[in-house]
Order: sequence, then C-alpha cells, then structure tokens
Amino acid sequence: MNEHDDVIGLVRESFSGLRMDAPVESVFARSRIRRRRRLSGLTAAAAAVAGAATAMTLTLGGPAPARSGNPPPSSPGPVTLAAFSVTNGPGDSTTLILYKGPKYPALDPTALREALAQHGIPALVTVGTFCRSADGAPAGLGQVVHPSNLADGMVIDGQAMPPGARLSIGYFSGAVRMALIEDGAPLSCGTTSQEPAVHITPSGSPIR
Amino acid sequence: MGHEQDEFADFYRASKDSCLRAVTAVTGDRELAEEQVAEAFTRAWTSWGKVRRHAAPRAWVVRTALNLGVSWWRRRHREVPLAEHDAAVPAGPNDGVDPALIAALRRLPARQREVLALRIFLDLDTETTAKVIGVAPGTVMTHLSRAVAALRRDLSTANTEVIQ
Repeated sequence: MNEHDDVIGLVRESFSGLRMDAPVESVFARSRIRRRRRLSGLTAAAAAVAGAATAMTLTLGGPAPARSGNPPPSSPGPVTLAAFSVTNGPGDSTTLILYKGPKYPALDPTALREALAQHGIPALVTVGTFCRSADGAPAGLGQVVHPSNLADGMVIDGQAMPPGARLSIGYFSGAVRMALIEDGAPLSCGTTSQEPAVHITPSGSPIR
Repeated sequence: MGHEQDEFADFYRASKDSCLRAVTAVTGDRELAEEQVAEAFTRAWTSWGKVRRHAAPRAWVVRTALNLGVSWWRRRHREVPLAEHDAAVPAGPNDGVDPALIAALRRLPARQREVLALRIFLDLDTETTAKVIGVAPGTVMTHLSRAVAALRRDLSTANTEVIQ
C-alpha cells in the first residue's frame, strides 16, 4: 500500500474532524423504543385476534360477551378536529401526529411550538418555509426523531436533543421537513431550495 | 446483560467515528451517513450476540449502514411524512472535509469508494476487505489502485485550478 500512502493519508486527514457525537445511550434508547413498539404491535394483533374471535362468536349465535364499563353515549358529541396532537409515550418520548386534509384546520405554528415546549422539546415551527442553521445542523437528528407506528406520526425523544439545540419543523402542504438548529446561530430559511431565503426571528416570525 | 451492554458500549465508543467517516466517504452526505450509522449500530446491538463474533464487527456496521441505502431513507421518511426532509435543501458542510475531495470521491464507482473506505477508515487488510464485500483479494487491490489513481488525478487537477 506504500505507493498509495500520500492519497490515503490525505483522505484520512481530511475526514479526521468528522465525529459522531451521539452517546451510546441513544442506541440503547432507540433499541428500547423499537422493542416496545414491536411488543405493542403484538398486543394490538392479539387484541385484534380476540376481537375477531368475539365477532365470530356473535355471528355464530354464541353467548354475547359481558359488557364492562359505562354504556356508550346515545349520540356522539361534537368533535373538534385539530391539526396536530402531541402525546406522551412511548416511554419517555413524545409522539407528534400532524393531520392534513380538508377536514383539518390549518396548522397553528405557535400552538404546536407551545405544545412541544410543554413536553420539553424546544422547537421552531414554521409553515410554508423551513429553517436550518446556516453553518450546518448540529448532529443527532436521527437520535431525536424516529418513525412511529401511527400514520402521520413521529416519535420525538426530547432527552436526546443536544444541549442548546432546537428542533426546526417546516410544515408544507405536501411534506414536513425537520432539522436540528443551534440556539442563537444564524438561520437560513426558504420556501423551496430555489426561492430566496427569508430571515426568521427566534420567536418564529419571518422578516421579508 | 450488563456485561454485554458494557462490551457493546466499548465497541461503540471505539468505532463510531471511523464508521461514520467510512459511510460518509461512500455516501458523500454526512447527515444521511449519521442516520444510517445510528440505525446500523442499533441493529448491531439487537444482534450483538452474532455481531461480536463477526470477523470485523466495524465492517458489519458499515456494510449494514450502506445496505440500508437510499431506499431505507425514503421508506422511513415516508412513514413519518418526512418525504422531502432535507432533500431539497443543499447538504450542509461535512465538518471540514474538503468539498473537492467529497466531489472526487463521488465520482468514483461505488465499489471503489467502499474498498477505499474499508481500507482507510477501518484499517482492514486486503483479505478481510475481500471477505467482507465478497470479492477476490485481487479485485480489492484493483479497486484500490484505480480509486487512488483517480483521486490523485482529480485532486492534483483541483489544486492546479486553484493555483492558476
């Protein structure tokens, strides 16, 4: 390999600043979340099988199962749909679901930011634009955001957020973009990669 | 479990940077590489009983990360409606890695990049590299020679352009 040493040394040296900051605990946490999700999937599948068995019993004219709990209301109450939900779990994580479609109201970025803050997740939420740190995103998005079993849902592990970082959520009609941003660092925001960037203040208001 | 966890933690701390560098060198995208490597380490922990007995556990992680590929990225981000996540935004800086070098690496065929990454960042010898990627040792030598020659040519051209 001697005749290659100059190039190999140059490549090695050039990559030497590249470091993976995520602690090993994030790997264990990710694995735990996955195991829980698998178990809850199995539980849901078992419940579905049990439900199917009950339905089959009723269809075949067997005894009806005993009813437990309160009887269902005679008529459903009014339903208020929301553009998002933020709930606890799985484990210490938070599940965020964003609902889209004509029957849902427009996303209120301030309401979502405040809801995430209540779960210990500092965020910058923007609609129709997406912001990222101009100097490059802090590492670790993969440890913070995980896919959820729920449609349109994602699991956010607030404890995995690097200190001084916030989650930037750019909400578009066809997609949601996410990145970690550093508090106080200059941001580069844009509606699409082709359009000129707009400046976003720390409170989330755009300055055009 | 405690002993296994400690053992894996030692392995992770000793290997994470070199695995990230190897995968970044092949993909040319640090953020994507970090996601892939994090996922690969999670799978390594899930199968630690098997991975710890592998001839080159770090190569197992790198290969797993690379095998996840773009399809995993797309599928995963469709699941969490992040289909366009960062895709339309220019990639961020690769932590000081010379962009000319990244561009030169991306011009290499994928197999040459992989051989280069395994040799440079994981310090695998020819035999182990050949075993890991499933080719003959001679093929590894050929890939390495061609990759180095192309990089040398590309980088010397880039330097010349800067100087002129």
